[in-house]
Amino acid sequence: MKYEMVAGFETHVELSTNTKIFCSCTTAFGAEPNTHCCPVCIGLPGTLPKLNEKVVEYAIMAGLATNCEIAEIAKMDRKNYCYPDLPKAYQISQYDKPLCEHGYIELSNGRKIRITRIHIEEDAGKLIHNHGDTYVDYNRGGVPLIEIVSEPDIRSPEEAREYVEKLQQIMRYIGVSDCRMQEGSMRCDVNISVREAGSEKLGTRTEIKNMNSITFITKAMQYEFERQVDLIEAGEKVVQETLRYDDATNTTSPMRGKEDAHDYRYFREPDLVTIKVEREQVEKIKACLPELPNKKLDRYINEYEISEKDSALLVKYRNIAEYFDKAAQGLKTPKSAANFILTQIFRRLETEADKEAFDIKTLPEQLNKMCKLIESGKLKNSLAKSALEKMLDSGENIEKFVSEEDMAGLDDAALTKLCQDAINNSANAVADYKSGKEKALMSILGFVMKNSKGRADANAVKEKLKELIG
Amino acid sequence: MVTREDVENIALLSKLFIDENDLDKLTEDMQNIINFADTINKASDESEEFDNINNLENVFRNDVVKESLPVSEILSNAPEQADDHFLVRKRG
Ligand SMILES: [Zn+2]
Repeated sequence: MKYEMVAGFETHVELSTNTKIFCSCTTAFGAEPNTHCCPVCIGLPGTLPKLNEKVVEYAIMAGLATNCEIAEIAKMDRKNYCYPDLPKAYQISQYDKPLCEHGYIELSNGRKIRITRIHIEEDAGKLIHNHGDTYVDYNRGGVPLIEIVSEPDIRSPEEAREYVEKLQQIMRYIGVSDCRMQEGSMRCDVNISVREAGSEKLGTRTEIKNMNSITFITKAMQYEFERQVDLIEAGEKVVQETLRYDDATNTTSPMRGKEDAHDYRYFREPDLVTIKVEREQVEKIKACLPELPNKKLDRYINEYEISEKDSALLVKYRNIAEYFDKAAQGLKTPKSAANFILTQIFRRLETEADKEAFDIKTLPEQLNKMCKLIESGKLKNSLAKSALEKMLDSGENIEKFVSEEDMAGLDDAALTKLCQDAINNSANAVADYKSGKEKALMSILGFVMKNSKGRADANAVKEKLKELIG
Repeated sequence: MVTREDVENIALLSKLFIDENDLDKLTEDMQNIINFADTINKASDESEEFDNINNLENVFRNDVVKESLPVSEILSNAPEQADDHFLVRKRG
């Protein structure tokens, strides 16, 4: 029998606001333990939370960028559970009135992964377990999160990878999160079940919690899929339970403790007032969103006629795409700017982090200028290449390396002189050429090109050489 | 019915230390609180007004960092601490 994977995601994304969601403590990562805390975020009695305006704005941005509807009225609720990472014994979250609902992310195979909802909530503290004792650091407690919940629309680990990468890319583009999985600013829970391929009925699902690497996610899903199929084939039942993935053994195992307790007794957070989202505010936020990666990709492929592969490279990080957009402005063939970026500039960026930062000395306006000079025929490609290297090294403008004289090319007298010199110095090649070896001309041509420092036009040189040799 | 034992137990869970002499009075008070909650239960909860009981909306804070408290003050109420962390001992 053929089985099909059915998976849905709950993705926690830490928002890159300056302050926590309900107090003015900083959200900066990596500080000494319990130094980013105040009476509000360690849950002392008598304190009152006050919602950070930016959190609402960022969540709405995330919703709009994932095609969600934005609620007119939203509210906060308490999710109760007792565990040392929550000083209040409840997490302030959203239950039945989240900020965003009914969105989707489109995958490259055309399938839409529906987004059920996006809500805002506070992160919990960090626990360090040591010989059965628990050390608690509340620096992360109260850092704002959005939780993005998808429908069970994902059918394979490959789709899961693309879904998570797309989310990551979108959140980074709109600037609401850096989505660094290693630092925990993006974490995924995956619920997964199997069913007979083609069936509409959902099987019993398990949930794999808290994964912070795309590779682990895909491996865990594959493992869990096979485990469930084996159970069914053996006539056994899949037990609905919460699992953790162990990357060392590439297996999943049941989790116990807070993650398994599901009676959260949600109720309205009485200390926070209703959130009312005016439609004008939504329109305003929408107008400020940058062009999203999918749109850019379409534009590059269809309008700019850049290959799909190259377009994807340009779109991957917002800094690259924005640089390219500026460099391509008004060009007849934007592709030429793309080529300079993907070859000469990319060669200088070794890691993904380098590419993401895209911190290079040459301004996009300078690359644009250079491409325009090439298009107008004033600047030879070979000369442009070496000029760009020097520009990238020094950050100096193109004028510094390409003189008017260079751009003017060679006049006939100069060209004749260069060619004659070359002929005089290549007796053998000249003789070969005269005896009918067409190829010999190329070595003389190369000689001329080199001596002209890229200023000569290869075709003009060829004609001149033929004329002079006779 | 709320019993003396219930109140003792709640006090223990809440880490409150109660004078033996106050137990009867507190048991009675607690019973009154429960009775009051029963009154609330009789009210309909379908009213939309529950979404906005204070008639307040959109009370926000600007995203501006203020100084946090020194770690010594943060930990000053902790029953146990170690290495600038709250310490939760292994149970049992
Ligand atoms: Zn705080």
